[in-house]
Amino acid sequence: MKMKRAKCKSQNKFCVLRFALLLPPTLRERRRYLAFELISEREIDKRALLKEIRDSIYLLYGDTGASESKMWLIGYGKKEDAEGGTDRCRGVGILRCAHNKVEEVRAALACIHSASGVRLGIRVIGISGTIKGASRLTATARKQKIN
Amino acid sequence: MPTFKFFDLNVHAYPETEVPVEELIRVAIRYGYAGIAITNYDEVMKGKEGEQLPPSIANFAFRGIEIRAKSVSELKRRIRLYYGKVPLIVVRGGSKELNEATLKNPMVDVLAPPYGEHGKEGLTHVLVRYAAENDVAIEFNLNAIIHSRRSDRARILGKMREILKFVRKYKAMPVITSNAHSIYDLRAPREMVALASLFGMRKEEAVHALSDIPEGILEKKWKKRREVEII
Repeated sequence: MKMKRAKCKSQNKFCVLRFALLLPPTLRERRRYLAFELISEREIDKRALLKEIRDSIYLLYGDTGASESKMWLIGYGKKEDAEGGTDRCRGVGILRCAHNKVEEVRAALACIHSASGVRLGIRVIGISGTIKGASRLTATARKQKIN
Repeated sequence: MPTFKFFDLNVHAYPETEVPVEELIRVAIRYGYAGIAITNYDEVMKGKEGEQLPPSIANFAFRGIEIRAKSVSELKRRIRLYYGKVPLIVVRGGSKELNEATLKNPMVDVLAPPYGEHGKEGLTHVLVRYAAENDVAIEFNLNAIIHSRRSDRARILGKMREILKFVRKYKAMPVITSNAHSIYDLRAPREMVALASLFGMRKEEAVHALSDIPEGILEKKWKKRREVEII
């Protein structure tokens, strides 16, 4: 009996701790996840790409605008079946931003024309409210064959 | 949201650049365009005015020409040379006299005015009025925004904002183009709309300038009306 009570207590403690760490839903930030596709001359490092996206946002909107957009690169990977044509290197990735700054981030992405000397072009495939939804978009983009 | 047919009226391809037309079309179709116009410089295309695009791509790509003239007489001569032979005539503007001669000429389809280049004047409200009268569209070249940084870009955006104000006032036709020289310069229509919002263009205006107006220019919608009126 004693044992059982102790166990219950510890569980309870754990639960309280977990909820204390999580932000309450009213204070959580609303986010959007942008699934994007990239074509480039040569392969591009994820770090170089992130630097270029950040620079683009800072140049377009300044420090305050960049802080408001809350941009973050969730993931970026090379597309597998890239064959044929001059755009041999393609990648897909997911970018996070604030829910009311989607158009601004889109414009900043469109302003990028090269990263570390490699010419590139970025297109936003779709926007989602969850990472799961965005990764579904990138998965379909990955499967798509180049016509 | 209804589906629009998007067009890009200023794309440069082989032989002016190294990119073949097929390559550009492949990327443009994936980006969601309904058509692009290949406007190479007339110097490069000399002697090939009558040349047609291969039939496999003829329903997607349209032939055009971009005229770069140094004097007004030269400009007029070249416009007369290409009028009727090429479906789309784009004139790269420069000095005030050149812009005036272009906008007073109903044979021209699109004027690409200089945006903030040193030593070159842009458009004034009087000239935009001529553009509205003669149905000459005014191009907003987004490649200038993409490829410039800091003070250059600020100047270009300021100039575009100013011209957009005149265009709204006199109801002239704005056209958004990418002026792409390679496949990496092309941008998808939604990105073009987002870029246009940087100089104060509303979303509906930008979509209109990317879809309905270019389509009308390619079909010669407004020019035909003018011809009927003259008869």
